[in-house]
Amino acid sequence: MWPDLKLAVYRPALKLAMERMNHGVALGYTITRVDSGEVDLSFPYKEKVVGNPLTAVVHGGVIVSLLDTCCSTAAMTVLNRPAITPTIDLRLDYMRPAEPNKPIYVTAKVYRNTSSVIFCRGVAWQDDPDSPIAHCVANFMRVKSPNISFVGILRKRFQRFLAGDSTSEVGR
Amino acid sequence: MKEPDKVTLESLQAGLVTARKDANPQQILDLIPYSSFIGARAKIEDGAVLYYMEKRPSNIGNPSLPAIHGGVIGGFLELSAAIELLYSFNIEKLPKVVNFSLDYLRPGRYKTTYANCSVLRHGKKLVNVTATAWQDNPNTPIATARCHFLVS
Repeated sequence: MWPDLKLAVYRPALKLAMERMNHGVALGYTITRVDSGEVDLSFPYKEKVVGNPLTAVVHGGVIVSLLDTCCSTAAMTVLNRPAITPTIDLRLDYMRPAEPNKPIYVTAKVYRNTSSVIFCRGVAWQDDPDSPIAHCVANFMRVKSPNISFVGILRKRFQRFLAGDSTSEVGR
Repeated sequence: MKEPDKVTLESLQAGLVTARKDANPQQILDLIPYSSFIGARAKIEDGAVLYYMEKRPSNIGNPSLPAIHGGVIGGFLELSAAIELLYSFNIEKLPKVVNFSLDYLRPGRYKTTYANCSVLRHGKKLVNVTATAWQDNPNTPIATARCHFLVS
């Protein structure tokens, strides 16, 4: 597990990276808590992601995105070195339809952390965390590749920046 | 493609009937705002519905590769599975998704993603649909999903 000092430095960077990433900006969620192995997120209701035009309920795909983001952020907090954790699989149960015009809250927790796989579960809820709208389990891979570590990514971006290549900021 | 302000049950059902009659599944996608949010589209190819999603910056989840966000791939497959049901069967209302299981096989690169779906079992209440997404070659899928829907 992470020493708290390391997380204190890493926390704002992780929050910023996950919120400012392209799809994160498009959805417009906020990461409200980053702890070792536990992450909370909140998503305001948006009309452009409605999946059922009759009831104005958000599409299930949004809940997949939110849970995937929240679980992978939680998985990243248990790494010794900051890196991206690719998702192996994600299983989702929809317990009840989300209500329109209400924010969705997501909580994710790492419940088992091994040398190659990180096991997470996540819950999406609106009024009461004990009566969730969706529940998911997701597994993430630990990859020891320099291309996927935060330092490697920053180095690559810096090199691209020096070379005057703007493709790293794809169509911001 | 601006939607009329209010979709009613009647207009939705009429939309479904016309889409089936015109053999144009895109008309069903146009009824759902989320499909334009991720840029999902559909066309008929070789007698089956082919779903595709062109690359767009707002779908990126990892800007350094760049790769498509895993949630977008999930949403795209879930949407495709639902449209497959609405288009191929005479279902009067939108199917309710019960569960969704997604396996990521390869990173989704920043390019057009395709998907096809097949209905494995169509019961009275429950339907099982699988959806597979690929980019360059249907034989190298990037993700595969399994979905249960409540109909009736």
